[in-house]
Amino acid sequence: MQPTVADIMAVAMSHHMKNGEVAIMGAYSAIPMMACRLAQLTHAPDLTFIAGGSGAVNPKLRPMVQSSCDWKLLTAESVLPLSDVIDLEARPEIDVFFAGGLQVDKFGNCNLVCVGDWANPKLRGPGSVGLPFLSRAGRFVIYTNAHNKRLFVEKVDFLSGPGFLDGISYEKRKPIGSGPSLVVTPLCTFGFGRDRTMELRTVHPEVTVQQVIENTGFQLKPPATVPETTLPTGEELELLAKIDPKGVARNSVR
Amino acid sequence: MGPERAKKLMSAGDAVERFVRPGCMLGIGGMHMHNNPMALIREVVRQAKRIGTLVTSPSANINADLLIGAGLVDEIYCSYVGFEHLGLAPNFRAAVEQKKIRVREGDEAAVVYGLRAGMSSLPFIPLPRGLELAQTSKVNTLDFKTTTDPFTGDSVLCLRPIKPDVSFIHCQKADAHGNGIFEGSKFTDVDMAKASDKVILQVEEIVSDDYIEKNASKVAIPAMLVDAVVHAPFGCHPTSSHSYYTYDEPHLLEYLKACKEGFDAYLQKYVRGPRSHEEYLKVVGEHTLANLKEGR
Repeated sequence: MQPTVADIMAVAMSHHMKNGEVAIMGAYSAIPMMACRLAQLTHAPDLTFIAGGSGAVNPKLRPMVQSSCDWKLLTAESVLPLSDVIDLEARPEIDVFFAGGLQVDKFGNCNLVCVGDWANPKLRGPGSVGLPFLSRAGRFVIYTNAHNKRLFVEKVDFLSGPGFLDGISYEKRKPIGSGPSLVVTPLCTFGFGRDRTMELRTVHPEVTVQQVIENTGFQLKPPATVPETTLPTGEELELLAKIDPKGVARNSVR
Repeated sequence: MGPERAKKLMSAGDAVERFVRPGCMLGIGGMHMHNNPMALIREVVRQAKRIGTLVTSPSANINADLLIGAGLVDEIYCSYVGFEHLGLAPNFRAAVEQKKIRVREGDEAAVVYGLRAGMSSLPFIPLPRGLELAQTSKVNTLDFKTTTDPFTGDSVLCLRPIKPDVSFIHCQKADAHGNGIFEGSKFTDVDMAKASDKVILQVEEIVSDDYIEKNASKVAIPAMLVDAVVHAPFGCHPTSSHSYYTYDEPHLLEYLKACKEGFDAYLQKYVRGPRSHEEYLKVVGEHTLANLKEGR
C-alpha cells in the first residue's frame, strides 16, 4: 500500500505528539484528528485531543468525518460546551494547538481574515476563530492543504494567530507558550531556526527542494542536503487505513 | 390542575413577526453546518426583516450567509463565516469586499467571553493575557478596549458584553413551554440564549411535560428564558441537527454554486417561493430528507 500525501502529513504530526499531552484543533482539521488518533494507537496512549467546536474529547473517529462539529465525533470520552473548551484554551492545559490559515508567514504568524488591507480587502476570508489563542498554547503546529506563494508569504496581511511576530520583539512581549514548532504542508515540513524564521527540515517523497523554494513566498536558505520526510511504517499505514477506511481525510490532499 | 400555562408554541412565521424588530440585534445559534436554525432564518427572508446587527456563534455558515445574500444585514459581529471543507462563504465574502456590510471583527474569544459578560450582566469582561497580540482588537475598537487592571496595575484588554435583542436557537427536543434538550453538542447556544432578551427556540420534536419531568436534568435551556417554541422537523436543513439527520452536502454545494451564478433563483426556489417551512420541505423532497436521516 502506497501512502497518500495526507498519510505522510498525519505521520509527521503524529510523531510530534508526546504521550500525556493535550491537543486541540479547529475547523477543517481531519488530518490533525487522524494524526492524534494515530499517535494514541502507537506511542501516545495518554494523548488527549479536543475536536474543536464539537467539544468532543478523544473522539474515536468511527467513522472519520470532514466537519469539526459533526455529531459522529461525539462517540468520545466527553463532550464539552464550547465555553468549557475556551476555559481550557485559556488555562495552561493545551500543549499543542493545530493551526492553519489563508496566509502563513515566515515567523509562523497565521491569517484567516483577509488578503490585502482589512478595511479594503482583495479577498475576505472566514475569520480568526480560535487563532488568537495560539498566544497561550504550549506550542503550535501549522498544517496546510496547499503549498504556494499566496499561502506562504513574507508577512501576513492580518494577524489572526500570533506566531513569532516580527521575530525581534517576540521575547519583549513575555510570551506564554513557546510558539510555532512544526509546519506540515503537502510538499514538506518546516521547523524554526534561531532567528525564529521557518527552516526547511524535510521534503516529502518525489518533491525537490527547488520545488519548495519556487512555491514559497519568502526566502529559504536550505542546507546542502535536506532529508526526506519519514514515511509511514507498515503498521502506521494499516492503522491509518483502519481509522479512515473511506479515505475521507487520507484522500483530502491531492 | 390549576390554571393553564401560557402557550408559546407558534409557527415560524408568527414567531419572527412578533419577536424580530426591524433593526434589532439578532443572535443565531448552531456551529458550522450543524444545528443552524434555518426554518427561522428563511422566515426572516420571507418577511424581509432588516437586521441591524447579526451576531453569530464562533463559526457561522449558511445561517449568516443566506441572510447577507438576501441583503438584509447592515452589520455583522462574527468570528468566522465559512463552509469549512466546502469553501468560503460567497455572500459574506462579496458583501465585505463590496462594502455592503459593516464588520465588527471578532474571534472565538470575543464571542464566548462577550456572551459570558452578556449573560451574567457584567459591565465588561477582561481577557486573558496574550489575546491582545492578535490584530482583532486593533480593527474593532467598538467592542475591544484596553483598561488598567485595578489589582495589578497592568494593562488589560476588555470586551463589551454581547446582548442580542432576540436569538434563534435550535435544539432537538422541548416541551411546549420551552424547556429545551440538546441531543448532541450545545456549542455556544445555551450562553446565547442566556445573554438574549428574547429567545425563539426551534425544535425537531415537541415532547410532553411528562417526558421533561423524567428528563429534567437533561434540560439545558429552561423555559423561563424562552419566548416562542417553533416545531420545525428538519428545521436545520440543509445543515444537520445533531443525532437527527446529517447535513445535505449536495444542497450546500448547490447553494455555493447559486451564490456565484444566480442567487435570486435559489431564493425564489427555496426561500421566497415556499410560503412555509412545510412547503420548503416539499421542495427539498421526502427522499432526500429520508437519506439525511439515514446518514446521521
